[in-house]
Amino acid sequence: MLSRQMRSPFERAAGLGSAKEGVEHWWRERVTAVALLPLTLWFIVSIVMHSGSDYAAFVAWLKMPLATCMMILLLIALFYHAALGLQVIIEDYVHSAIKIPALVLMRLSCFGLVAAGILAVLRIVFGH
Amino acid sequence: MSHSPIAPPRPRSPNIQIYRPQLTSVLSIANRISGGILAIAGIGLVAWLVAVADGPQAYSAAQSALASPVGRIVLFAVTFAFFLHLCGGIRHLAWDAGYGFELRAIYASGWAVVAASIVLTLAAWIAPLFVTW
Amino acid sequence: MIIRSSNQMPRSTLLKRFPLPRNLGLTRESRIEPGRKWRAPVEAKRVKAFEIYRYDPDSGRNPHIDSYEVDLDDCGPMVLDALIWIKNKIDSTLTFRRSCREGVCGSCAMNIDGTNWLACTRFISDTANPATIYPLANMRIIKDLVPDLTHVFAQYEMIEPWLQSRTPEPEKERLQSAEERSQLDGYYECILCFCCTSGCPSHWWNGGRFLGPAILLQAWRWLADSRDEAAGERLDNLEDPFRLYRCHTILNCTRTCPKGLNPGKAIAEIKKKVVERRS
Repeated sequence: MLSRQMRSPFERAAGLGSAKEGVEHWWRERVTAVALLPLTLWFIVSIVMHSGSDYAAFVAWLKMPLATCMMILLLIALFYHAALGLQVIIEDYVHSAIKIPALVLMRLSCFGLVAAGILAVLRIVFGH
Repeated sequence: MSHSPIAPPRPRSPNIQIYRPQLTSVLSIANRISGGILAIAGIGLVAWLVAVADGPQAYSAAQSALASPVGRIVLFAVTFAFFLHLCGGIRHLAWDAGYGFELRAIYASGWAVVAASIVLTLAAWIAPLFVTW
Repeated sequence: MIIRSSNQMPRSTLLKRFPLPRNLGLTRESRIEPGRKWRAPVEAKRVKAFEIYRYDPDSGRNPHIDSYEVDLDDCGPMVLDALIWIKNKIDSTLTFRRSCREGVCGSCAMNIDGTNWLACTRFISDTANPATIYPLANMRIIKDLVPDLTHVFAQYEMIEPWLQSRTPEPEKERLQSAEERSQLDGYYECILCFCCTSGCPSHWWNGGRFLGPAILLQAWRWLADSRDEAAGERLDNLEDPFRLYRCHTILNCTRTCPKGLNPGKAIAEIKKKVVERRS
């Protein structure tokens, strides 16, 4: 086994070989992006239309099945897209040993936030 | 070959320290930064939903925080980041389908993204005035 | 301002460089120090200043910027002419690669006024005052403006840039229609100057594993060749989160190509082929 300092340029370029995967991440980033187009626009329009409405009006709107569904889908698509994007950012800039822990921590945080968000929506709709 | 024990390692020529900022690289990093801002805004969205779920008092506390000067500035920045990332994202989707790679199209679509983001941000902030009046 | 082709100079510059410290992130041996000023001959009337990156591996000094005054009436119109004039008349230790002096060999690729281009096809009149000349960005420097291209050529070897087929060799040529041959237009013309690769921020941060636009453009050249029969193996070799997917369509490559080629488009075609073979 050649020591790291004595590797040929070709071996240094080839590294551990091609992972033969990578399109899945790329594809899902695009699919979630397409999903987020209508979901975020719906959210922005709804927020703008409801500016100035009080608590009861807002809760009544969110209790509508379509609104509940869109809000939950928005949370899922948003945090999935964010997890994929942040994974790329961490892989790009972090090259030391904290890369893997950072990736794991980021992904678990996104899962936790989705869970908290969906739970909050369900509490609004079914609670009180 | 690169780390001979006798000779010192070779220097590396500067990259971002001297490379000219161009529309290509500047819009690309803006898309990434706006995405990062939106990821943090996602945390804010969840926090806001939790406030709504916690009842009217928590909700009005959250709304008054958002209506404060700092809150408004943050919300404006997040709105601009959102529209920049949205328009930039659509531009990226067009590239992924294979369209818009000629330099003229790259620059035209790039400036269109900047203009559309500004216009949409202003529209999103002016529209509530028409809803509530 | 709409840029129509890569040799179009921007009419105005908002920002010549990102507002960062000049030595940010550079290793100790890469830090650039101020250098000396070389004056033009006294009789020179039209004089222009060039600030040029210098590095002498035998001196033990760090790289530094030397300032040269060039007599424009005594040298040719291109930046390469100015470099040759400096080497002949002022400082013979200035070192740079050059060969064809007409933009077809790729030897004199360097960073002129912040963007990568060929010195022999950049007019002196299109440069700023003073003109700043650095080597290709983010390259290990052998001496002055001469980068070490060993790693990028090793990455080139890795994509196996030769025709691969199982069909036995025909008696004459391997047949290819005019339309199939036109699929290579815009890709076979690459002169491997590496202006694009050394201008790609993703290659700056991940150049060890990311192949970069020049190599990926060549990879597409072989994928697009109808006579090549190893598309599956080529795509297997490319489909990797780092080799291919560090490309985030930044498009500095297409902006800077001195031959007007479009590596960004080639990479998008590769990504489309990767999706096509699994859907």
